[in-house]
Amino acid sequence: MIMVCTQCQELLSDYIDGTLELGEQAHIERHLSDCEPCRAMRDDLLQIVHFSHRLPEHAPSAALWARIESDLAKEQPIGFKARAAAFWLRLRERHFNLSIPQMVAAAAAFVIVISVSVIAFRRDTISTSNTLAESMHVSPGQVQPLANPDMEQLEQQINQLSETVEQKKNAWNPELRAAFERNLLYVNQSLVECRHQLSDNPSDDVSQELMLNAYREKIRLLEGFKSF
Amino acid sequence: MLALLCCAALAFVSANADSLSHFERTYSPSGTARLTLSNINGTIHVSAWDRRTITVRANTAPSVVINDLLIDNDITVTVKRDFRLGRADFDVSVPPETSLILKNVMGDIEVRDLNGHLNVNSIDSNVRLIDVNSPSVDVKVTTGDIFFDGALHEAGAYNLQSFKGDIDVTVPESTSFNLTARALSENISLGSFLSNLSGASRGPKGVTGSYLKGGPRLILTAYAGRILMHKK
Repeated sequence: MIMVCTQCQELLSDYIDGTLELGEQAHIERHLSDCEPCRAMRDDLLQIVHFSHRLPEHAPSAALWARIESDLAKEQPIGFKARAAAFWLRLRERHFNLSIPQMVAAAAAFVIVISVSVIAFRRDTISTSNTLAESMHVSPGQVQPLANPDMEQLEQQINQLSETVEQKKNAWNPELRAAFERNLLYVNQSLVECRHQLSDNPSDDVSQELMLNAYREKIRLLEGFKSF
Repeated sequence: MLALLCCAALAFVSANADSLSHFERTYSPSGTARLTLSNINGTIHVSAWDRRTITVRANTAPSVVINDLLIDNDITVTVKRDFRLGRADFDVSVPPETSLILKNVMGDIEVRDLNGHLNVNSIDSNVRLIDVNSPSVDVKVTTGDIFFDGALHEAGAYNLQSFKGDIDVTVPESTSFNLTARALSENISLGSFLSNLSGASRGPKGVTGSYLKGGPRLILTAYAGRILMHKK
């Protein structure tokens, strides 16, 4: 069965959550291996998932809930405050089922707000090149090199190997291509995670070590597939 | 009707039998051997036996080509790289002290009762090392769980790494070691080993320290997976 982009994009969220059945997963990986726009969307979603894990949970205050209950009990016409409370209530109870473009747009808006805040907050202490805003523009497949010569060298090696593999992979068996894409996704997810952890805490030795190691793993992966 | 069904079933069975090829070699090294086995798609099972010979058996898809080479005590068995990705399932028997280098792309790997050096390098494999007593072990997989149940040598190095899978290590309670455990997922469970780690640095992503009097270097690295340690 050939998957089209709309089908792929509908399933991407579940794919990233790892809730698809194996057959569907294989279909989507086959499609991703051939479709640059869908791969880009997958990478964007990965970024969103990463940042959503870091969002603080906001809940209305206890006093607000008490007022909601009181309003409901009195069955009075709903005023502005109660409407706001009802909005929070609906928000809390609602199971969101947003389309991918909606999610992307919402996340992009959120990220812009956060980025501006971060830049303003850190302007005096962190150089602009390390800001969250810039790191958000990095797709997992093209992680920016750190200012570390080792990493820059590794990044160059990765770029060369990636070019070689990209040229070859169209001739591969779909199963092989899917395996490559899946494993590359996992390594890229780890790289994105390491990068964000380093962005939060640049002096974290463990994150630095894990990041270097993830670069080496990407090289190992690409070299493993280069000879097919 | 029944006869017709029987004939169809027989034809199906014989067609399947025809679709598999069989590879078998026996090598007689003069001393401690080093076996390098490179597979692409399929399982690798290795177990130690009490003979001096090494036997490599494989059931393969017809498209699979296997090359082998014996130079002194170095044995190399290689599945030829082919984008068709034909399957080859290996079953290998070796003397316990044999050094093993196992390479794979996809397919689970199991090693039992080995005393020699062990190096496993795969992309998509669960790796099970059972009752191993090797002086060094190095396992790298991108996707897959790594299960280690064995002993550590005093000056040995044991390096287990998975990007998408758990690392599960079982060693005897009396084993000393120097531990470096790193988990990006911040999921490290050292059980009762943790309370006896000395000189330990403990963070959510990493734990380092010596257990009892130190010695063997045990380096565990997981990214999207857990690190679990158990006492035998």
